[in-house]
Amino acid sequence: MLFRLISRPYFRRHVLRTMLTIAGIVLGVAVFVGMHTANQSVLMAFSQTVDRIAGKTQLQVTAGETGFGEEVLEKVQSASTVRVAVPVIEAVVDTNIRGQGNLLILGIDMTGDRSLRDYDLESGDDAVIDDPLVFLAQPDSVIVSNEFAGRNGLTTNSRLPLGTIEGEKLFTVRGIMKSSGLTSAFGGNLAVMDVYAAQKMFGRGRTFDRVDLAVADGRTIAECEAELGAMLGAGFTIEPPSGRGQQFEAMLAAYSMMVGISSLFALFIGMFIIYNSFAIAVTERRAEIGILRALGATRGQIRWLFLGESAITGVIGSLGGVVFGILIARGIAASIGSLITDVYGVAQQAGELATSPALLMVALGIGVATSMVAAVIPAYQAARVDPVHALQKGKYQVLSAGESRARAVAAAVLGAVSVACLAAPSIGGSAGGGSRPLFYTGYVLAVVVALLLSPLLALTLARTLRPILRWIRPVEGALAADSMIQAPRRTSASVAALMLSLALVVAFAGMARASYDSIIDWMDTAFNPDLFVLPSQSVVIRTIRFPKEMGAELASIPGVERIQMVRSARIVFRETPVMAVAIEIESLAETSARPPVAGDPAAMYRLTASGQGLMVSDNLAQLQQLSVGDMLEVPAPAGVIRLPIVGVVLDYSDQQGTILMDRTLFEKYWNDDSVNVFRVYLDDPASVPAVRQRILERYEGVRQVFVLTNGELKEYVLKITDQWFGLTSVQIAVAVLVAILGIVNTLTVSITDRRRELGVLQAVGGLRAQIRRTIWIEALSIGVLGLLLGFALGAINLYYILQIVHHDIAGMRLDYAFPTGVVVALVPTILASAFIAALWPAEAAVRGSLVEALEYE
Amino acid sequence: MAVPSRSALSPSTIPTEASTIVELDRVSKRFLGKRQVVALDDVSLTIPRGQMVSIIGPSGSGKSTLLNLVGGLDRPTTGEVRVEGEALAGLTDDQLTRVRRDKIGFIFQFFNLLPTLSCLENVGLPLHLRGWPRKKAEERARELLTLVQLGHRMLHLPDELSGGERQRVAIARALSVYPPILLADEPTGNLDTKTGGDILALIRELHEQLGSTVIIVTHDMQVAASCHRTIALRDGRVVEDRPRSG
Repeated sequence: MLFRLISRPYFRRHVLRTMLTIAGIVLGVAVFVGMHTANQSVLMAFSQTVDRIAGKTQLQVTAGETGFGEEVLEKVQSASTVRVAVPVIEAVVDTNIRGQGNLLILGIDMTGDRSLRDYDLESGDDAVIDDPLVFLAQPDSVIVSNEFAGRNGLTTNSRLPLGTIEGEKLFTVRGIMKSSGLTSAFGGNLAVMDVYAAQKMFGRGRTFDRVDLAVADGRTIAECEAELGAMLGAGFTIEPPSGRGQQFEAMLAAYSMMVGISSLFALFIGMFIIYNSFAIAVTERRAEIGILRALGATRGQIRWLFLGESAITGVIGSLGGVVFGILIARGIAASIGSLITDVYGVAQQAGELATSPALLMVALGIGVATSMVAAVIPAYQAARVDPVHALQKGKYQVLSAGESRARAVAAAVLGAVSVACLAAPSIGGSAGGGSRPLFYTGYVLAVVVALLLSPLLALTLARTLRPILRWIRPVEGALAADSMIQAPRRTSASVAALMLSLALVVAFAGMARASYDSIIDWMDTAFNPDLFVLPSQSVVIRTIRFPKEMGAELASIPGVERIQMVRSARIVFRETPVMAVAIEIESLAETSARPPVAGDPAAMYRLTASGQGLMVSDNLAQLQQLSVGDMLEVPAPAGVIRLPIVGVVLDYSDQQGTILMDRTLFEKYWNDDSVNVFRVYLDDPASVPAVRQRILERYEGVRQVFVLTNGELKEYVLKITDQWFGLTSVQIAVAVLVAILGIVNTLTVSITDRRRELGVLQAVGGLRAQIRRTIWIEALSIGVLGLLLGFALGAINLYYILQIVHHDIAGMRLDYAFPTGVVVALVPTILASAFIAALWPAEAAVRGSLVEALEYE
Repeated sequence: MAVPSRSALSPSTIPTEASTIVELDRVSKRFLGKRQVVALDDVSLTIPRGQMVSIIGPSGSGKSTLLNLVGGLDRPTTGEVRVEGEALAGLTDDQLTRVRRDKIGFIFQFFNLLPTLSCLENVGLPLHLRGWPRKKAEERARELLTLVQLGHRMLHLPDELSGGERQRVAIARALSVYPPILLADEPTGNLDTKTGGDILALIRELHEQLGSTVIIVTHDMQVAASCHRTIALRDGRVVEDRPRSG
């Protein structure tokens, strides 16, 4: 009843403000839904591709990315619990067709594979599969999906150019698969070829990527897993197809954590916009509350009136946020998709959005809860309103001395606790590296302290600004400053929302800058060869490789001084996908030795080169709690490598960490001597163009090679790093939105509060331009206060984020460096946003009736 | 009360001859809502330069509406308002503002001082808005505060003043450019009898010294009696227009 009589008319009277409040929730919920839906969609697309390709496969045998020798297939087939086992090779190749992107090639054994997968061909093509020998006899055969054929006008016997290790080859379409679960995998960009042809075309030697199998009748999957586990050893992973989705998810953990932090901040910022609106509403409606109390409303009724309003606002805002979030999810999913392809080398395409009802319900719940939590303090303040005081006219906005003192005391106490939380772990180790709960408590408290202090700081800064503004514009400037000083609550909530938002941007930008600095530093030593020879345009795609023999060929090219062969592959270590990098360590020590983070510089290279030890990257050591001397157990197809860690070095090859070993060890344990990259040193660095040309000429028409210079490779890596930090630009966009929303909200209230004052100004001769100017100056001043406090909190936030990156996300030890460049760029961005936000309120301020303004109470 | 002479003040606009300064020609003002309210109904009158006029009438008779129309704060529904011969009807908002700041000073019942500005800043406000140099604006503001006997309160905030003092500041502000017309809406309505008497005396003295045209809206018959002329309104119409008796 109270809602109908009191709240509804209030909302109707303040439509714009109500909409701005709702926009706060829409923003928070939309970022949450958008980012999580996009993340889920990408994961779902990967899992669906795995599932659809798996067909009736019950278990898959893999050995990380490296694959394994053909003999493993025979072993698996001989197991008593296995009904059928077939080999598979997967390769993602460039179709060289504009707009079609990559094609997933599935190399299978036609003679046995149809017991696991259905290849339902368009009528007339069945003869190809009915007689597998026809297919096998022609190694240039491919079968493509109906979708891919349709999109590219392919029919049976069409020629299809594909990039292979031997350069671009023309394949013949021998059949077209009818639409089915299988053909919809990888967005329909799917082709099938013979597994042995695939070995040749993609440089796999005599290896398979995995074995797909079905369990024998009457035997359970668990029995089969147990039998194969015992038979093959620890270097193999035997799991249902869904397990690959989990590994993919683990690989994306760092990205997911960043998404989580961003979503959390977005919700927190949304909460501030709502808090601001309700705090202002309580202030404005004091007389109304006083009347209600005088008429017999209980404190509980008043409290629930406001909480009810916030719940309704929350429901409407959350619904809007869900819709808006789904709309932006497609764009974010496309961006994450390309990020994953470029950063992790795992190609996938998110065809459809995974709009999980559970996620949407959680988003709705979070939106409503956020709104209600934001309204709790204003609702309690409303309930505490004294009817006698409320019915008296006067100023309510000014922070009372008692309130200021209480805030300052609380901030001092919590600040001390926050510092204590930081100091505590340093007793047992490095700062921020000890107790994680204590560290995170300290982090949250630091943010709370900033929020507690923001009204006092905003007030102090506004007072400091007054003489400056007055000096710039004696009337407009002074009045703008006074408006902020008179209504610190109105101003400070906007400033606080902006502060939080900017603190996030500063921290992420600082992290990005520190990462760039560290990566550039690492690349200067690690990437010091003159040329790099790769089998694919992409540095991170490892599904196409060179044979070892190419090393000798390259070494014989005139001008080449030294060749280093690198084999890198993602392997599973302690159930986490990490990167194994195998290289000739002795040679590496001569060309690219880096001072270690831990370990004896001379001994560690010697021991690793002789196969008596392993080196690990600093981030792996951090994430897995490893140190020099620890015994590592690395599972491989030929057994478990048990060697001590002899050195810890900085290496940013992979976010989950890197294990560095000598090539001989890798060849022995993985039975794989292929090469991902040749590092080429020249006699004369000035001869780079000439030698590059010689290499390209040497392999023209024989092999697909890409030769990158030192500078080009570094540029490529930095481009990938850029993409990873693309998230920062999304946050800047959110910060700008927050700035606009918060400032519009504050100014809308400000022009209502100052209606009489603005009327007087006009009555005594203030022109419209002058009235507009005072509103603009107020907006710009709020922007300035937000920037100052945002940069200050950002400087603290950056410290915490770097610690989180170091200890919990990527294990990277990043030096603290304030991102001055981004900060400088943010100043005009936020001020321009503030100005834009002020345009409408300024117009509203000059358009009202002057007579009403002068009578306004 | 010591009021400086006109020549000493060097006002920007000092009337020199008797002529019509304000003219209303068949002016009506209707407020449209669920019910149409006629605030002024076909009012015509002229006010000569230098006259002190009171407008009286019961609540809702149209007194304040008339004052707002003369001051360019509002526009008539029909009819014509002229100030110093200039028709206000066709002017834009900014042109109206310029008329106000050059020719009209306002004194309100509730003072309408800006609470965050000192007395000096409040009085200097119209001058700053006109773009006067800071020093010159301050000098004039000091001069005017001294004129209304508040030289000792220059840096005080309005909250720190009594009601009478606040109204003096408001009067000083209204005089900032020595406008030819002063419009006062119930200037004593929010003051006790003695303070109200003092304020009225001040307005009268200033009027005599500066020669401004003063139009006062009031309920107070004593205030009305002290003016040259009294115009009585009822239901939006002029029901009486008489010079001061005696």
